Amino acid sequence: MKKNFKETSKTGAIAWLLQRISAVVLFVLLMFHFFTYHFITSTTPGWEKVVSKMQSPWFNLLQFLFLITALYHGLNGVWMVVEDYIHSKFWRIFVFGLILFVGSSLLFIGTATILKISNLELMELVKGVSK
Amino acid sequence: MYKRTKFFDLSYYKFIGSWAWILHRLAGLALIFYLCLHIWVINTLTLGPDKFNQVMTFLGSPLFKFLEVGLWGVILFHAFNGVRIVIVDFFKGSLFHKKLFVILVAIAVVLWAIGSYLLLSHIQWAG
Repeated sequence: MKKNFKETSKTGAIAWLLQRISAVVLFVLLMFHFFTYHFITSTTPGWEKVVSKMQSPWFNLLQFLFLITALYHGLNGVWMVVEDYIHSKFWRIFVFGLILFVGSSLLFIGTATILKISNLELMELVKGVSK
Repeated sequence: MYKRTKFFDLSYYKFIGSWAWILHRLAGLALIFYLCLHIWVINTLTLGPDKFNQVMTFLGSPLFKFLEVGLWGVILFHAFNGVRIVIVDFFKGSLFHKKLFVILVAIAVVLWAIGSYLLLSHIQWAG
């Protein structure tokens, strides 16, 4: 029994479930993202317009949630494809490392964008101090 | 041990579910590629108004707006087929998944038309 349990824990059942949960969350957040950005901005592509949207903490919280669920769902999806077609241990570890690297870099870039834009005055202050 | 999967076994492709599966995968891979570019490009917000507006004007050209229309289509397919997958996995959807596929794709097409109209109305023909 113990052995069976150990084996099922390696079948990816949790990844499967999380992929579906993140999918449902993403469905809502993606529609929200498209209706608040892609459909209504860019008649006058405006830095000010985007920045003024990003001053609301609740809006930014949703954006951050969108960022992490999208990255998780997307990269977990890539990993599922990898598991179907790549069988050598070396290449699996290589691609897994690549996915972790890309994921953490984009998480960093995305979070930095949200934090910097939502704290523009603070950023100016930091720049002033470092000069 | 792993069992090797054929990359593309055509004998399965007489069923709608196989097409839904492969298109869902391809759409997903396209979307993660777009997501990477999107996060990177939007980071130009931090470089100030001039840089960001310059990039947005470039992306407001007809070519990119038509690409965005395609993106919206790929997203809707992946999202609505995803809804089908969740219904199949959790709500006995396997009993009616083909009908479900047709209905959900029909809804997606309607949303695609509406979204595409909104996107294309933003084209800056002069730029």
